[in-house]
Amino acid sequence: MDAPRRIASPDQRFLGILDTSPFRVAIVYSIVFACGAALLLGIVDFAVSRVVDRSSDDLIDAEVQGLREQVLVLSRSDFIELVEQRSQDQDVRGAVYLMVDPQLRPVAGNVPAWPKTESDDGKWIQFKAAVPFGDETREHEMRARRFKLPGGYNMLVGHDVQERQDVKNLMMRGLIAAVVLTLLLGLGGGFWMGRRILAQAGAISAVATQIMRGDLSQRLPVRDADDEINTLAREINTMLDRIEQLTLGMRTVLDSAAHDLRTPLNRLQATAEGAMGQVIPGSPERRVLERVTTEVDHMRATLDALLRIALAETGTVAREAVDLSELVASMVELYAPVSEERGIRLESAVASGAQVQGSRQLLAQALANLLDNAIKFTPDGGHIRVLLKSQSAGPPSAGPRSAGPPLAGPEVIVEDDGPGIPADKREAVLGRRVRLDGTRNVPGSGLGLSLVAAVTKLHGARLTLDDAAPGLRVSLQF
Amino acid sequence: MHILIVEDDEVARDYLAKALREVGHTVDVAGDGLKGLHMASSIAIDVAIVDRMLPKLDGLALVQSLRATGRKLPVLILSALGEVDDRITGLRAGGDDYLTKPYHVSELLARVDALARRGESGNAESHTKLKLADLELDRITRRVTRNGKKIELTAREFQLLEFMMRHSGQVVTRTMLLEGVWDYHFDPQTNVIDVHISRLRQAIDKDFDKPLLHTVRGAGYSLREDE
Repeated sequence: MDAPRRIASPDQRFLGILDTSPFRVAIVYSIVFACGAALLLGIVDFAVSRVVDRSSDDLIDAEVQGLREQVLVLSRSDFIELVEQRSQDQDVRGAVYLMVDPQLRPVAGNVPAWPKTESDDGKWIQFKAAVPFGDETREHEMRARRFKLPGGYNMLVGHDVQERQDVKNLMMRGLIAAVVLTLLLGLGGGFWMGRRILAQAGAISAVATQIMRGDLSQRLPVRDADDEINTLAREINTMLDRIEQLTLGMRTVLDSAAHDLRTPLNRLQATAEGAMGQVIPGSPERRVLERVTTEVDHMRATLDALLRIALAETGTVAREAVDLSELVASMVELYAPVSEERGIRLESAVASGAQVQGSRQLLAQALANLLDNAIKFTPDGGHIRVLLKSQSAGPPSAGPRSAGPPLAGPEVIVEDDGPGIPADKREAVLGRRVRLDGTRNVPGSGLGLSLVAAVTKLHGARLTLDDAAPGLRVSLQF
Repeated sequence: MHILIVEDDEVARDYLAKALREVGHTVDVAGDGLKGLHMASSIAIDVAIVDRMLPKLDGLALVQSLRATGRKLPVLILSALGEVDDRITGLRAGGDDYLTKPYHVSELLARVDALARRGESGNAESHTKLKLADLELDRITRRVTRNGKKIELTAREFQLLEFMMRHSGQVVTRTMLLEGVWDYHFDPQTNVIDVHISRLRQAIDKDFDKPLLHTVRGAGYSLREDE
């Protein structure tokens, strides 16, 4: 299997996966899911803390209310004792009390110091306080309410909310982890699906390339599954069966047409040659017979050219690896003496190592037609230049035929300094049997460039005719 | 030489048989593939000319069956098909040469001759030295001398001369040269081969009395020693 233009480095393959639609879909979905997870956890967190906060706040409010009532009926020392008692009470976990004198020195309670937070009487405050925890102490978050006691004393009643804070933190961490995990899973899943799709698409495009190169027996790989890609592949394969039948049908028609034309021509040739042996050389009868065989030769040449064009257009010609460098060099070598004879300088610059997939004979015929044309139309003492560039450099030259995908294969250029072809006639000469005015005295079937065009198309190459100023510049970009 | 023609087109077959007899060959004819296969396997034949499309048994199938039985006789396939890669399938089936219709009888005679001689001289290809009169060619050292004098040739001229020497005494047509030396199968519109031959002639014949490379009018060229 050959798809030299598609071989990608690992980097390119990685970027290729990022470009696949499943990967993009996966990314979008994982972002949506991550946002959903974040929102859900946020709502849960908000609701839970509201319920918990409110219930503990209610407890504190009740305690504050109780103490306010007690302070009115108890003496200071009794009240201090009450506060101490409640502070020591192990049943009420997390309850904090602090009573301070007007200088804010602690008098009773289980909080070591009055918090530095400024707050008005009766307001909720949030502060940190050291709490004994086994042998050491820990800073805990407290939520409390303060109120004034008679005699400039102040009282703080609150609750240790550190545990709740811990739960909240845990939830927050869980939330972040969930979001990150969702994103990672989405990314991984997208990457995996992207690779799968890319592998399938790669297999399909490799087969498509081979089919376009003329191997009509190729079919898309179908796996034993009923997913949409396999269904699509099966349908395309059915279509390919049909195309193959049609193309082979065309080939059969072409073969029988060839047979039905060549057989009578052969009879004509045989009859004429046979009769020639029975007449005296130089007699009028002999001249007529010679004329007949010459015409048969012309018809054969035209028929050969037409059949080659038709064959190239059906795309059923067998392909092989063709050493384009060797081919171009040997064609130049074949035509060099005949152009020298005409005083034409045939120059060439042939890059080595250029290869294409195709038909060597048809490519040779196309090059021969270009060189035949160049020699025919170049004046004595002119120049013909044949170039083979192994890789195209820069954008393809502008022209009506240069539309289409960029081609990066070798490029063959044949330039002459003959009369050239006017810009408005360049399209037309590639059609069947167009001979420009003033060239009718030059021998030829008029199919030369049509054959070049058909062969170029067969090889997936691009044919461009340009002004060589002066002359014609023909480029075959593979 | 004994030649078998397997061809269903009567006009072409009769003329071909006549032309071959005129140059001194013994000719047998068959009008269909089965008869052709039977004759080819039972009669001592030097060369078979087989049309590709035949009634009863296709020309390619005929050649394949012949090869399957181990018969090595040279076969020239005649074809009226579209060409290009039909030639390859023809040669793969076991044909030794391939000619597309319509053909000149001179072309066919030259090819039949070449096929027959190839069978005759056996391993002319394996000889390292080729010799014709005072012209010598060494395929290993790639040295060409005439009358002991070294002749400078380009690589292509050497190949051309080698091909001509392997077929010395025979008529070699332009298409045979294009196929044998360049491996191309088309008819160039210009006289490319003639110019190559005239250069070769310059190199090997110019300074010598007796020319060896002769033009055969209406057919091609021949490298031979004139009596």
